[in-house]
Amino acid sequence: MECVVQGIIETQHVEALEILLQGLCGVHRERLRIHELCLKSCPNLGLVSSEVRLLCDLEQSEPTWTVRQVGGAMRGAGAEQISVLVRNTVESKISKDALRLFYALGYRLDHELLRVGFAFHFQRGAQITVTVSSINKMLKLHSTDEAVPVTPGIQLVEVTAPASSENYSEVVAAVSSFCEYLAPLLHLSKPGISTGVVPTAAAAAASLMSDGGGATL
Amino acid sequence: MPIKWVLHWQPNPGTTVNTQILTEVSQCVEGINGVKEGRWKATLSFYKPMVREQANATEFPRDFLGISLQEQPNKYYLVIRGQRLIVEADSTIQTIMEKLQSYKTRVALNFEGFQYQLGDFQLRVGKVVPIHSESLRGIVMEMEYLPISSWEKSHQIMGEFFDIWQEALSKRSLPGHFVHIEPNFAEYGLSDEYSSQHTAAQYASIMAQMIATAQSAQAARN
Repeated sequence: MECVVQGIIETQHVEALEILLQGLCGVHRERLRIHELCLKSCPNLGLVSSEVRLLCDLEQSEPTWTVRQVGGAMRGAGAEQISVLVRNTVESKISKDALRLFYALGYRLDHELLRVGFAFHFQRGAQITVTVSSINKMLKLHSTDEAVPVTPGIQLVEVTAPASSENYSEVVAAVSSFCEYLAPLLHLSKPGISTGVVPTAAAAAASLMSDGGGATL
Repeated sequence: MPIKWVLHWQPNPGTTVNTQILTEVSQCVEGINGVKEGRWKATLSFYKPMVREQANATEFPRDFLGISLQEQPNKYYLVIRGQRLIVEADSTIQTIMEKLQSYKTRVALNFEGFQYQLGDFQLRVGKVVPIHSESLRGIVMEMEYLPISSWEKSHQIMGEFFDIWQEALSKRSLPGHFVHIEPNFAEYGLSDEYSSQHTAAQYASIMAQMIATAQSAQAARN
């Protein structure tokens, strides 16, 4: 299970966001370069169609692969009241022939993209990960060297935290609380609920850049 | 990782495997001074594609296996033998396959028995039984040589030990013998350096052989 919120930020304010995150998290950022392949089952396979994602981490000296299955989001009145998406996910590390295997099993490439940016991993009431990345599409199949931004000038910010059915309320509270610190720069909400950029972002970013992160917003 | 040969019992034509043979094999290991150490277990599951139009089922692999090995308790191996495809994944891949519902496990087998120490060798003798059943479907052995991890370099000593083992066993006049099939590891993209993926490839080959033997025995009876 995981808790997720997303938001967007203009690329020009990313540096300010990084300063803010550095100050809040107290850890160094890690570079992020992930080739994400979204596979869908071919028409005859499965009584219902299924989707699986292969993630190849290109930042490592030797590319490492993970397979990820994203399940349904928590539903009901309780779920609607919280501002964080809670959904089932399962991940597994997998060796390099994963794509060949899923093709052989009857899965087809639906789309692929390249996420380039950075991530912060830290503990603050929950194990939280913040990623800031540009989403890029490949001009040629699997060609990660020839990728162009899907939305030039805009980057995606994602805040995620693993959770279980026993502790998701605490994790939701931790993620929500953390997101409040980012409010001057960006608004984070459930994936699929778009809120656009934040009007105070430019002023907040200027403040961060001039202070170098020394003062609070 | 130390190299390992996985052997399976080939019954003589017209005979079947039984627990008496298993007992004799175990006694033979102890007879050549193998010291019993503990239990071991591996599992193998056959995955069946779930299809909407039965007529088109052949477009999906019929030899898709999932294997768990005692030496890697947090890993799971997926093999499509006909395409020489093998991947190593975390055990959570089983949950992912369940949630996708595109393939379901059809038959699951346990390979289980006792492990013996014999100098630089570790031997495992195991029965092959369907999960939740005691009906014996086969016998396997693992011959592991601890000092060497290169498949090529180990060939001679493994061959010599195998010959010694076969000779010791032949004195019991059992209706069958152990067979070693060596998969072409390069076809699976595996190197000379031995790994659990090599073990999974050997188990996949053994299953193919056991199925072929069972089918030809069935044909002979018909």
